[in-house]
Amino acid sequence: MELQAIHDTLKAAGVAGLLGCDEPRPANKKEKDPGRAGMPFLLVDPAEIVPLLTACRDEPRLQFDLLIDLTASDPAADGDDLWVLIQLLSLKYRHRLAIKAHLPKSALSIASATAVYRAANWHERECSEMFGITFEGHPDPRKILLPDDWKGFPLRKDYEFPTEYHGISCE
Amino acid sequence: MSNSTSNTPEKEHKSSYRAEERRTLSSGEEEFFFDVKTSDMEVNMGPQHPATHGVMRVLIRCDGELVTGSQVHLGYLHRCAEKIGENVEWLQYLPYTDRYDYLAAMNNNLGYSMAVEALMPGLEIPRRAVLLRTINVELNRIASHLVAYGTYGLDIGAITPFLYAFREREWIQALFEKICGARLTYSYIRIGGVFNDAPPGWLKEVGHFCDVFEEKWKEYRDLLALNHIFIKRTAHVGVIPKDMAIDFGLTGPMLRGSGVDFDLRRDMPYMAYGEAYEAGAFKVPVGSGEKGELGDSWDRFYVRVEEMMESIKLVRWCLGVIEDGPIIGEIPKVIKVPAGEAYVGIENPRGELGHYVHSDGGKVAVRCRVRGPSFTNIAVVEELMPGTLLADSVAIIGSTDIVIGETDR
Repeated sequence: MELQAIHDTLKAAGVAGLLGCDEPRPANKKEKDPGRAGMPFLLVDPAEIVPLLTACRDEPRLQFDLLIDLTASDPAADGDDLWVLIQLLSLKYRHRLAIKAHLPKSALSIASATAVYRAANWHERECSEMFGITFEGHPDPRKILLPDDWKGFPLRKDYEFPTEYHGISCE
Repeated sequence: MSNSTSNTPEKEHKSSYRAEERRTLSSGEEEFFFDVKTSDMEVNMGPQHPATHGVMRVLIRCDGELVTGSQVHLGYLHRCAEKIGENVEWLQYLPYTDRYDYLAAMNNNLGYSMAVEALMPGLEIPRRAVLLRTINVELNRIASHLVAYGTYGLDIGAITPFLYAFREREWIQALFEKICGARLTYSYIRIGGVFNDAPPGWLKEVGHFCDVFEEKWKEYRDLLALNHIFIKRTAHVGVIPKDMAIDFGLTGPMLRGSGVDFDLRRDMPYMAYGEAYEAGAFKVPVGSGEKGELGDSWDRFYVRVEEMMESIKLVRWCLGVIEDGPIIGEIPKVIKVPAGEAYVGIENPRGELGHYVHSDGGKVAVRCRVRGPSFTNIAVVEELMPGTLLADSVAIIGSTDIVIGETDR
């Protein structure tokens, strides 16, 4: 199923928090639009993420039973935007869905998806330590790849590389 | 503290090692009683342990031989692959992809190249490049499964099959050396195609390898997979039911071992796989619970063994249709990728390898996310461990076939 059809199916099922589709478009030199290549995304409201994922999983015409990936992206150091990205896959209908939810850097908090997909558990732990996002209601919010005492969020664009670690110089 | 072993048979008969003590009751009488101070023991398996296939630590809590809980600790091999991806040019990142799942570097090259190519709509990949990619990726799948086959035997005490498996793996590595000069970290599949054409006689040697391997494969199957002792060790161990596999987001042989018939190569085809499947070149092996129950360690293992044979058939099909032609599309020296975002997932030997790439039109990625199959697959171990025996924990971890370079990236 194409993204627009998935969007319409969710809308017909009465799911809240749909903010439209981000489709790729060709470059337009006249209007100085660089265009956007790649794949389409479904834009959603982060406050509605758990009911939305539940609907994606349980809606009989969608059946997104696998949560493939959950991560975030910080496009610019000076901006206030941070995006949470979720990739879903349906084994039955063989289609994918990419979800993007916008979070302002001043309030990095989103509900945990672990109650819907247990696969989200470790992805959220990684996302949390790398970007500083708090996943509300996460059952085990420890660090996963970084040491417990690591300072800062390495995948943020405003991250400053440490000059020392436990007295060992890194310069 | 645990004296709750009453359900285990050892508790029932009093053995001689128990301390004999006496205590005074409130009535003033003395009585003998038997007691032994027991408590749960926490065992650190790793970070340096041969069965964890790298530097991973599994903290196992056990009550005698019974495992009551486990916790997986990762990060010992974290090399910041994603951060590096945001700091080097598109093509410069390619050698880093070799290093996350170092047993399947060709597949990693392909996953990254395809993700970048998804952002370059005008780029056409020549047919010879597509087929060379498919041949090399499938050969690498065999090489990777041979390691999975050999080390799984090694984990649970069968040393011989490992030596056999490495004999054929050596040949595949020699083939790779001939085509790209490297034996482990290839960087052979580039954005737009492949970087080197097959040397004279190479395709013929691959065909010869297929003939030899087909015979050897039967030996492998009988030597380990159908070995009675091996079946006793792996059947009914670490059972992952279908719904649990889906809930944990497992992919690849882990998912198919639980009876889910899904393979990206067939169901969401890329490269030459759609065409090959229509021509009947391969089928998708799925676990059946033949020796134990559906989704046990043996099922997962046997899916891998059968996949090696399917890969041979795929390579044969490619050898039959490959023709001369260009091997790389029109790619500038310094690649500038149009602005956009794409997620591409491909079927690696261990499951779905996903790359999410975000470009702002420059020479460097804004975000380069790697979704490694081992990372999600190992998460299920914490769930499988409680209630099993300590010796089976090695069989369970081995059956997930993880590569730590990929879990930690």
